[in-house]
Order: sequence, then structure tokens, then C-alpha cells
Amino acid sequence: MIRKLKYIIPAILLITTSCKKALDINSDPYSPTAVSEGHLLTGIERNVAANLDQGGLGYTFEVYMHRVTVREAPNAYGMTGSDIGWGGFYVSTLTNVDFLITEATKNGNLKYAGIGEVLKAYTYSILVDVWGDVPFTDVNKLVSDKITNPKFDKGKDIYPQLIALLDKGIADMTNATATNVLVPGSDDLMYGGNMTRWVKVANTIKLKLLLQQRKVNEAAVTPAINAILADNNNVINATAESFLLPHGPNGATDDRNAGFGEYYASQRTRNISPWFYEILKGYNPNIYTGIVDPRIPYYIFQQIQTPGFTGTNPSEYRDGKFLSIYFGSNGPNAGQSQQAFMSIQGIYPVGGRYDDGKGASTSTGVTAASGTGAAPDRLITYADVLFMKAELMKVGIVTGDARATLQAAITESLKQVDYVITTYVKPTSQTVPTLAGSTAATNYIAAVMAQYDAKPGQQLEQIMTQKWIQSFGYSVDAYTDYRRTGFPVLFDPNNAAQAPGGRVQPPVNGNPGLATQPSVPVSASKNFPLTLPWPQAELDGNSNAPAQKVDPSTYKPFWLP
Amino acid sequence: MKKLLLVSLCFLILCITQVYAQNRTITGTVTSKDDGLPLPGVSVTVSGTTNGTQTNASGKYSLSVPASAKSLTFSFIGFQAHTSSIGSSGTVNVALIAGTNELNEVVVTSFGVKREARSLGASVGKITNDQISQVSEPDVLKAMQGKVAGVDIRTSQGTPGASTRIQIRGNTSFTGDSQPLIVVDGVPYSNDNVVTSSQVTGGGAYGSGIGNIDPNDIADMQILKGSGAAALYGSRASNGVIIITTKSGSASRSKKGLEVVLKSSASIEQISKLPELQNDYGTGSYGNYSASNGSWGPKFGGSLKVIPAWTQYLNAYPELFPDGTVPYVAHPDNVKDLFKNGSVFENSVSINGGDEKSAVVLTASQLNQNGYMTNQNFKRSNISLGGSTKLANGLNVRGNLSYASSTQLGGDFGETQSGAPSLFSRSLFLGRNWDLSLPYQDKNGNSIIYAGAGQFDNPLWSARYNTNTTGNERFIANMKADYDITKWANLSYALGINTFNSDRREVIEVSSRAAQGLGSLTLDNYRKQEIESTLLLNLNPKLKGDFSLTGLAGVNFNQRTTGRIVNQGNQFIERGYHTLTNTVQKLVLGDSYSRRRLFGLFGEATVGYKNYAFITATGRNDWSSTLPVDNRSYFYPAIQGTFVFTDAFGIKSNVLDYGKLRASWSKVGRDTDPYNLLATFGYNQNYLGLPSLGISSTAYDPNLKPEFTKETELGTELSFFQQRINLDFTYYNKNSSNLIVAVTTPNSTGYSNYVTNIGGINNKGIEVMLTVKPVMTQSVTWAITGALTKNKNTVTSLTPGLTRFSLGYYSYAEPGMPYGYFRGSVAARDDQGNYLIDPATGLLITATDPTKIGDPNPKYKLGVTNTVTYKGFTFSALLDYTKGGTIYTTTVVNELGRGTAKITGDRETTWVIPGVYGNPNTQQPILQNGNKIPNTTRVPTNDLYFGSSFATNGANEFSMYDGTVYRLREVSLGYNLPKSLIKKSPFGSVRVSLTGRNLWWVAPNMPKGTNFDPETGSFGDGNNQGIELSTAPNTKRYGFNLTVTF
Repeated sequence: MIRKLKYIIPAILLITTSCKKALDINSDPYSPTAVSEGHLLTGIERNVAANLDQGGLGYTFEVYMHRVTVREAPNAYGMTGSDIGWGGFYVSTLTNVDFLITEATKNGNLKYAGIGEVLKAYTYSILVDVWGDVPFTDVNKLVSDKITNPKFDKGKDIYPQLIALLDKGIADMTNATATNVLVPGSDDLMYGGNMTRWVKVANTIKLKLLLQQRKVNEAAVTPAINAILADNNNVINATAESFLLPHGPNGATDDRNAGFGEYYASQRTRNISPWFYEILKGYNPNIYTGIVDPRIPYYIFQQIQTPGFTGTNPSEYRDGKFLSIYFGSNGPNAGQSQQAFMSIQGIYPVGGRYDDGKGASTSTGVTAASGTGAAPDRLITYADVLFMKAELMKVGIVTGDARATLQAAITESLKQVDYVITTYVKPTSQTVPTLAGSTAATNYIAAVMAQYDAKPGQQLEQIMTQKWIQSFGYSVDAYTDYRRTGFPVLFDPNNAAQAPGGRVQPPVNGNPGLATQPSVPVSASKNFPLTLPWPQAELDGNSNAPAQKVDPSTYKPFWLP
Repeated sequence: MKKLLLVSLCFLILCITQVYAQNRTITGTVTSKDDGLPLPGVSVTVSGTTNGTQTNASGKYSLSVPASAKSLTFSFIGFQAHTSSIGSSGTVNVALIAGTNELNEVVVTSFGVKREARSLGASVGKITNDQISQVSEPDVLKAMQGKVAGVDIRTSQGTPGASTRIQIRGNTSFTGDSQPLIVVDGVPYSNDNVVTSSQVTGGGAYGSGIGNIDPNDIADMQILKGSGAAALYGSRASNGVIIITTKSGSASRSKKGLEVVLKSSASIEQISKLPELQNDYGTGSYGNYSASNGSWGPKFGGSLKVIPAWTQYLNAYPELFPDGTVPYVAHPDNVKDLFKNGSVFENSVSINGGDEKSAVVLTASQLNQNGYMTNQNFKRSNISLGGSTKLANGLNVRGNLSYASSTQLGGDFGETQSGAPSLFSRSLFLGRNWDLSLPYQDKNGNSIIYAGAGQFDNPLWSARYNTNTTGNERFIANMKADYDITKWANLSYALGINTFNSDRREVIEVSSRAAQGLGSLTLDNYRKQEIESTLLLNLNPKLKGDFSLTGLAGVNFNQRTTGRIVNQGNQFIERGYHTLTNTVQKLVLGDSYSRRRLFGLFGEATVGYKNYAFITATGRNDWSSTLPVDNRSYFYPAIQGTFVFTDAFGIKSNVLDYGKLRASWSKVGRDTDPYNLLATFGYNQNYLGLPSLGISSTAYDPNLKPEFTKETELGTELSFFQQRINLDFTYYNKNSSNLIVAVTTPNSTGYSNYVTNIGGINNKGIEVMLTVKPVMTQSVTWAITGALTKNKNTVTSLTPGLTRFSLGYYSYAEPGMPYGYFRGSVAARDDQGNYLIDPATGLLITATDPTKIGDPNPKYKLGVTNTVTYKGFTFSALLDYTKGGTIYTTTVVNELGRGTAKITGDRETTWVIPGVYGNPNTQQPILQNGNKIPNTTRVPTNDLYFGSSFATNGANEFSMYDGTVYRLREVSLGYNLPKSLIKKSPFGSVRVSLTGRNLWWVAPNMPKGTNFDPETGSFGDGNNQGIELSTAPNTKRYGFNLTVTF
């Protein structure tokens, strides 16, 4: 027996070692464990915008901002604890941003690190603006520190750290001693590696964050704002410098604007709000009465072919070729299918169709081929910057001519329409007339400025209303602006002046199929929410999360007094 | 080598002293009482000992027995065991009676080891060929429903080839596979359910791997329910094991030299029930006409005589509508006329031949099933060949090869509101004035419908053009060799390879509401290979005295490799050609690979005392490639004991003739999936031509530990009145801990999931099999068999700080709650449970906080089979009952919300929802002078089902129904032609039968007249159960079957 051991022991050893080798196969040969900065950056930029556009937060806020009406949950301020954007920011964006900053800093590629820091600050600022208190210090420490229940930080504690992060980003981007073996180029969707513009964006975001705090912190923000605005070139200062995420057509990949989804949706749900439409048409008795906005055919596509079309199904709101439903409608016809007849967003907001007055097929309505869908997500435009300046001048934080700045802002807003169409949307199936400089545009600006002069008490409202009209298609900041300033005046179904007796009257003879259009019962059971309810999944999974906001209409972001 | 093994197992042989002296030889022949033919392979033992032999090909045996031996015990699978006393003649001839569920039969346990049933300390269920073949059911799992206690089988959809879920003793995993390990002829059989498209937004009624098995080819199935019985199989045994022995895999000496069995079946299949519809009101809302989906329009026969022709129809066929209108009348049969009769044809042949040393079996079969709509088809072909022989040097060799090919063709399903192009988007609740006899496509082949464009795909168009085709191929090759080292030690080696290849093509045709109307093709190629290799030493030493000992030791190696490539092409260039090359946009949706390996070392020893008390101890150690190096080795033991107290205490009563108690305790370890330790970067789709990557949204715990399931099982088997009443009762309590879960994490952690050891699940329950034979005369027998399955599942713990996590689609895991319980929105109520009513609308207010709204797990299931035989006739009926279990159903909600269900036809009055007025902002009752105000706001029927109320647009709780259902699942009448009639024919036997399946059922708690079968689900064999999203209704069948042997 003993002598057999000389065979047995090596045999056992052989078997055990080969077994060990045979078991060491647990790494996925198809998936990398490290990637270069540029490959991260492209995905991050795409993700930042994807959570803000109409595929993310933008959808809800277009409804809350009364530019779009739907029958689904955002209607009547009905959002409950849905995710919309939250998971996208924390998981898809911020975790990758942290990887980018760490990797780029380690490798000395500080331009990448700086862009990462700017995008991180921007993302968190949105989270604070939309939800109030959100996790910040404990985020993305699951793998490193096993933190599975991040605590929620106060918005007012987060904001100063974001300002610091923006400064760090600027410092990193302009660090002359960094080795920068790799630098951003075409992998930077937003600026193609133009670091001068990135520094301007960082300053612009800073300006925005300071401005947003002006009601609670005016003394502290005033010098900082003035420091930034000491030189117009510190911030976005030209149309082409706007902070945009470009989109493309449905080619080798589908790169279209999320809002363009309505063009091929099997069930179109996003109507143009009659409130918005009436302000653009000059129907609103409070503001811009009698002034027709020349942007209408760029903003809204009307599918109905002739104003005299009598309709297949009864409609709720008709004004010639314009067809829609009311916010908070309880009318019998709000739910009628109007797939091929309802008015939808046009070429400027989503890259859809310029309204040439011809309408669309009565069988299917517009199709995916009606437009390219390549409108960019306009996160912060040059016009936005001008509107911010006009507001700051109007409230006296910055000295300057608010009127002239407003006029410049409106002029820029119209220019921007042409810029978006020619630079990005690039329509293939129609010729689109130039807006800026047209007679209608010139007349419009003159009429609006006349009203500005005629109503001194309404000037801030007019600035904010123009900014609201300008930002159609990107609504997150509009929601913040409204909460800050109370402007523009929005439709309130419970307001006795706007909806006497809980009913609102469409244009009486707007529907040629009817002798007169009946008034529509409307209501909003919930009040205007000052922040969104937190996603229920976050609260369920996180033992350090606060209790859900029962009434979001009383839960203020820190920058509201 | 021989010696090496002996040394390593010396503990087993220490007690062996010497072998019995033998001094007498008994011979005889064993035949089948049924047909008088000899039975080969029957186990013959001296009663109370392990001393025994087997009958040869002609049913003869010869056995040396000690002088003290009093009787012999004969046992054979599929026959009742029989004990005969040894007379003085030295010859004992026996005729065995065919029968199942008997007490002393031989049972196949882990690794094909045969054990006497009396020595087993854990419950084993059993299914024979005649229970599952020729029952008008091509799906082996569905054919098993109601027949085995402790097994929960849930069907998915009524479309051919759709998968079926089987679960034994409850769910033991949070997100992983909770289904049992299926072992076919010794090789694990992947039962993968390959899901290509989300079954929420579309996708087909995908099948699963077991759909490749032909029930005709199954010789028998043993269901090792508890981990006690299954522990030796290791990691996957915590969900139980189903051991399938096929005919080709069990080639054994034939009764005759050659036997041929032909089986042929033909069935008609139909939708089991259609909803009852109202035919008084057409489409519209609040009594006004519109071309909408809901039938809430004006009453037929009133002032509205004609309506404008539907826009799409008018545009496509202006010539059909000269004045642009159609009559406003009911089309009462428009739903019924969508469906036709389907069919099932099955043919199989099995050829079994050989001599004393060798045997060969060849089986071939073909199935062709057509569903009740166009393009619903399932075809399956199987060929297998198996053989065994004993070589002159004593080596037994056995091998089999089998090939299965199946093709499933079907349509799309899914949640219509999420954009799915479901074939059943509207099919069961069509507008009552829709004329479905009009063309379903325009002159260019585009889908056209009655309501607004894009609301749904015309069901007839969709059935024709939107198709999912899945072709599966499976090769299995097995070999086994064994050698008797000594009289009491046998060494065997088995190697098997099971290769599964699935190719799917999903077509969405141009103009569908899905794929942007541009058309889309998805190709999914999935390949899996599993290799299993086992070296086994079987010990069966003869002991002196009252003790017996058997044991085994083995080494097991398992490797699983999968590969998958998913490609998608969007926008067809030329219509009607469904290839990737004919698409504008080509996307690679996935390209993945995984491989895992597992080594196991195991042993088992059974000590018996006087053949009435047995203790079995087992142990296994696994080394898994998927766990961290430090945790990859894990050991788990099991012990079980049985005690046949009737034998021990010499109870020879006429009342109680057999009584056995059994107990087992076991622990089973389990590994995880490959690559679960480190987050990697994934490739994004290019954007504007630029590539990018991002970190996986799942984080991983690098220190994963194996999962463990501990199970205690107690049971008894009792037989009364000479086996006129047999009772098998089992109680089990199973705790699974350290479960590895990709738990949903709060997104603020930076990840959406985290794979870690997270918590535990408890399952406890009882299983009862009761057979009663009230009549047993020479010409008439009547047997009643009941199978009761009751399992209570509770999630016991989750990682501290985690309240609950989502399993997807309203299903959650939360401590103290059953796994997968439903949580969703509810109507706000006051502290007394009254509904809060929104004063502005008179309708319900949805509460801010979601809460528990249901539990998909049934309380219990009961199946009762009655079998009556009279001369050559056999009549059998299986009734089963499922108590409880919540179903979320969009079909029922739509039948109500769209105003088509008969009960929505009550519209002449208005309603007041009982409740009190509440404030939607605060969700508190509105008080007037401190008192609540009862609701008095009247709402029309339309609002009751389509407003913020009890169906469409209501809170989730109103989409949940109790799934209790009574069912006549199976009924058959068979006749064996008398021998006298076929004497001169070449046939050995001829049997004809008529079968009916699912002919009658009642679900008492579903809304009246909706006729919805709660045994329907969207997610096939996934863990998401009790959810139905516009699926295909279940079927009933009428079949004729013929079996001929010669």
C-alpha cells in the first residue's frame, strides 16, 4: 500500500491543480473592465440630455408648463412617485461621470476631468431643482464603501458644493501643466473639444445657479453674478455657443429627438396646450392680446388639412385647423382618438414638420418620414442667457437696459429657430422659410416691445413669458423659472376668472362641424407641485430616505422663500 | 484503480465480514398478469434482505437462497410489488399486476440509482407513460397537471408551443431560476425560456426547452420533490429534480424478441370560452357615437341609423361606401368569427428489440399542432436510438442518441397601452358595431382598423403578418459503461452532452403600430451546451445478520456554455421580404457568451435493519467556477430515515396492511451565474456615428457566498384494506438563506441592481396523495386518486435597510410577505375603509402610497382523478381545483372598460359609488361640522368602468382578481380490443380512446360573463406570475387516439 502512494499523491496533486485551473474561468471574455475617457464622455453627454428631454423630465414639465396637454398622469399635476429621470441621472450619468473624473485625473487628461465636473455639477443642480433634497455625499459608494442606503442631503447644502465643482472644472479644463495625452475631440458631442466654450458653459451654469437663489440669497449672489457678467465673453455669447445636445435622423442608428416620437407613435397623446396656443395667437386677454406670434408654424404642426374639416370624432377644442384638449379636462370628448387630426409639435421643438398649411393624411396623420427629428436638446441657449440678463437687470441685481436686453433676447430667439433648422434639423422633404428678419418677425418684435412699454407693471412677466415661449421643447428650466417668479401666468382650472364655474370656453365658432363649441368642464384636484414626489422605488429601497411628500404643492426647493 | 477506490472508501467496507452461505436454488418465471407475457428485468429478492437477482429476457430467474428464507419479493417499475412464499417445490412463478403508486416498487433516485421505495426517506412523485401520452396534450408539463402532489404547474398562453412553468415546493430564489432540475437519461436538460422581446411591449408566447420532449417517448418520470431526495444532484437540487427516463435511454430486454408500438392521435382544439358580450350599444362615449374603441355609444335601433364609414376604410375602399356611411348595427359574432378550429396530430412509433445480452430501442415521433388563429403552429419531430449490451468481459455498455427539432410559429402579445402589437389588443372586446368581414388591409397591404389609426393592429392582419418563428434543435448523446468489480461493487462512468440551438425570427410588418410602422426583424440565435460526466461507485455488500448496507460514492463534473447573438433590422426596404439584408437600419442588440463549471464529490450510505428501518446519510462537496475563489468550495449533508412500523411491530391487520414513517433533513448548496463578481463596461449603440461605453448598471459583491437551502421533511405512507386505500402524506419546511440576488437598489447608490447575498425565503407545506379503490371486482374497478398541493411561501429576510424590492410589473419581495406579492395603487379610503370620493367627479381618488393588492400564489391545488375500468373499457376523469392566487388581467379590465362585457350593458341608470367625499390633495375626508359627507354624486355606467374607478383608468387594485378555478381538466374513454378479436391479426394489442381536455371550467370570482381563465399568464416560465397582458386565451380539445402493438 505504502509504495502505491508514490503514484497516488502525484495523481491527487495533478487532479487538484487541473481542477483549480478548470475553475478559473469566471471573467467575461466579451466585456471590458476599463475603457478610455472619450468612450465614456460620448455616452455621458448623451445621457445627460436623454434624462432632460421629452423622453425624460421634459415630458412632465411641458405639461406642467402648459405648453402640452395629455390625458395621462402629468395631467392635472397628477405625477406620483415615478422615476422619470432619477434613475437615469444617478445610474447612467453620474456613475459614469465619476469613472470619467477618476480615470481622467489619474491619467492627467484634465480636460476630460473638467468636462466631467461641469456635467456632474449641472446634473446635481437639476436634481435639487426638481426634487428638493436628494442624495449627494453618499452617492456611488456602493462598491467602495458598501453604502446601500445613501442619505438625502439638503438642497441648500448641495448648491455651494456644485459652485465649487464648477470652479474645479474650469481650473482643470484650463490647467496648462496637465499632460493631456488624450484630449476631447469628436467624442465630445456638445462642443467637439472646444474648451473655450466649455469654460463659458461652466460659467453660464454658475450664473444660472446663482440667479436661481436670488430670492433667498440676494446679497450673497449679487457680487458673484456681477463678477461673472463683468465680461459678456465669460458666458455663452453667441447662438453657436449654446449648450445643446445634437440629434440626428433615423439612419444607421436612431438618433432622433425624443419628442419626435409623436410622429410615429401608434397612439399620439401629446396635444399642444390651448393655453399656449392662445397666447401665441393673441387670444389671451392678459398678455400679448392681438399679437400673432410668427413662430406658430415652426412650433406647431396642424394635421387637419382644411379649416372646414368636420372631423371623424367629436373634438374638444377646435380653432380652425388647430385641434387639442384642455388641461384637467373632464369633457366627454377629451378621450376621443384624434390620431390623424390633433395638432402636434413642429419643426423647431422636435425636428418635426414645418406647418406649410397642407396638413397630413387623414388615414394615418403625419408619419416618421414627415421630418428628420434631428432637433437638438436646447439645455441652455444664448437666448436663455439674454433672458437671464434681462431678468437680473429688471430686478436690479445687474445694472443695464432690461428693455434692450429683452429685445435682443427675442431677436435671438427668432434667429435661433432658423439656426436650429438649418444647422441641425436639415429638413429633407420641404423648404422652410427663414424666420428672423421676415416682416412678420419684425412686426412681432415691435408689437411686443410696444406692449412692454405700455404695461410697466407687467415687464417682468413679459420677460418670463417670452423666455417660456422661447424654450418650447425644453421645459425643465421653465418649471424652475415659473416657481421662482410666478410667470408666465399659467392656466388654472380652479381659477374662477379663467374657468368660470369650472368650465372653459373654446373659440365659439372654432369648429366648423359644430354650430358652436360647448364649454368644457375642467378641474385639477391637485395643486401646482413645487417639487416632484420622489420616485417610490428609491423610497422603498432606501432606509435613509425621507417619507414621501404627501402634498408636493407645499414642498419647496430651498431657493424659494 | 480498483484498489485506490477501495482504499478511499474503506470506511464502507469495514463492517463487511463474509458473505452468506447459500444452500438452495429457487427458479421461476415472472409474467405480466395483463397479457401473460414474460417480464424481463424484474427484481427478485429474498424478502427482508438485499439478496437478489433479475429476470432474464424470457422472464426467468434463478436465485440461491439461504435455508432460512421464507418468501421472495418481486418488484418492477410500473407493476405492483408482490411477495410469494417459498414452497417446497423450488419453483415460484408469479404474475405481476400492472399498477402505479404502489408501496414496494423500485424507485430511480439520483444518478439513476434504483432503490426500494420503502427505504426512501423523502417523497418521490411518479408519472408513467400512460398518464401523459395520448391525453390530447403535446406539452408534457401540462399533461402532468393535477397528477402529482407538491408540484405547481402553471400554463401561460393558449397558443401552440407556449411555455409552461413548473415549480416544486414553492419558490426558493428571488430572481434566479426557481424551476426544478430536469435530468433526461442522466444529463441535465436545459429548460431555457429564451425571451427575445419584452413580453410587456410585445414578444411572442415563447416556449421553453422542455417543449422538445415528446411525451410518447417518456418511459417514466420520477419527481424528487424535496432536497432530501435530491441532495446528491447538488447545486440545482434545491428546486427539486425531475428525472425523465426515455424509452431509448432505458433500452432493456424486450418481452418479446421484437415489439413495435404505434401511437396515433388526432384532436380538435378551440378557444375554451369566449366572453359574453353586450350587443345593444356601439362605439362612442357617454351615449354619443364616435369611431373609438369603447362601446359606450348610442343604443342600436335608435335614431342613429348610419354612421360615417371609418376613415381608414373609406380612404382604402371608397367604392365600398358609395354614400360614405355604414349602417349602425350590432355585429354580435364579430369576436367569435375571428377564431377557427385548431388541430393536434401526433404519431409515434417505438421499436424495441434484442436478446438476452443486448437490446435496442428506436423511437420516432411527429407532432403537428395548429392553433385557433392563422399562423399559430407548433411542429415537433423526434428521433432517438438507444441500446445496451453486456460484453463478454462483463462490461455493460449503454448509449443513446436523440435528436429533436421543433418549430413554433405564433403572433405577438403584450400590454397594448405600452405600444405592443398584441394579437389580442382588441380581439376579445371588439367594438360591437365593427364589421370584421370587411378587408383587414388596404390595397397596399397596410393594416386598417375601425378606430383611430394606430390604436391597434387589425387582428386578422396581425395574425397574418406579424409572426414569431422559433426553430429549436437539440442533440443529446449519452454513453454509460459499468463493470461489476466484485459481486457487491459496481463502477460506472457516464458521459452525456446536451446541445440546444434556438433560432428565432420576429417579424413586425410594415404598417404595424409597432416598429414605427416601418417594419422590423429581430433575429435571436441562442446556443447552449451542457456536458455532464459522472464516475460512480455503487456498493451493495452482503452483511451478516439483520443489517444491510448500500452505498455509493462519485465524482461529478458539469459544464454549461451558452452563446447568444441578437440582431435587429429596422425599416424594410422591399416589402414582404423578411431578411436582415432587406433593412435600412441594422443593429447588433447583443453578442454574449458564458461558461461555468462545477465539480462535485459525493457519497451516500444506507444502513437497513431487517428491511423495515433504514438510515441514509449523504454528503456532497461542490467546487463552482462562479463563486469567489475563497468561497467556491462548499459542503452539504443530508440524512433521512424510514421506519416501516407495520413490519417492525408485526402488524398484520386487515385494516392497516402497511405503514411507514419517514423523516429527512437536508441541506443543499447552490452557486450563482457566471460573471457575477465584477461590473464591466457595456457597449452602447453608436450615437451620431460615435461609439461609446458605459459601466453596467448592476454592481457586484466580490465576496459572494453560496446559497443554502435547509429542508426538513416528515411523511407517512399508509395502506389500508389490502391497498384499497393508500395515503401518502408529507409535510416539509424549507428555509433558503444567503440567497444571491440582483437586488434592486436605490438608484442613488449609482446602480440599479446589486448582486449580493441578500436574504431568505421559507416554504412550508403539505402534500397528500390519496388513492381509494371503492370497487375492485374481476370485471369492474374504480379508483379515485387525489393529489393535494399546499405551499406557503414567505420571504423571511432581506438585507438590513432594504424594505422591499421590485421583481418587475407589480411584483415585490418583502420580509413577511409571500414572494412576488402584488403591490400597486389603491383607491384612497378613510380610516373606516370607506372610499374617498372626489367631489368634482364623483369618482375615486388614487392614494399616494401603493400597498399590497394581491398574491399570485394559490392557497392550494387539488386534483382528483377517477378511473373506472369495465372489461376492456377504461374511463377516467381529472377534476382539479385551484384555490386563490391573484391574477392581474388587462383582458378583463378592457372587457369592462371598453364597455363590451355583457355586464356593462346596464346603462339605463346612473350610479353612486358608496363612500364619503374626500380632498384629493390631503387624501382626508371632507368634514362638514365635523362629520363626513356621504357621496351622492351620480356617475354613468361609462364612468364606473372607464373613469377613475373600477376598471380602465382605475387604481391597480381593480385590475386584480381572485384566480380560484374549478376545472374538468382531462377526461378519457378507452377501449382495449379483446384478444379474441385480434388473435388472427398481426397485432399484439389494439387500444382506442377518446379524450377531452379542459372541457369545462368555472372561475367564480372573475367578473360575471368575462369567461376569463385565470390560468393564463404573460411571462411563460419566468418568476413573474399572475400577470396577464393581452394574451391568447386557453384552449379545449377533443381527441381520438389509437395504440397498436405488434
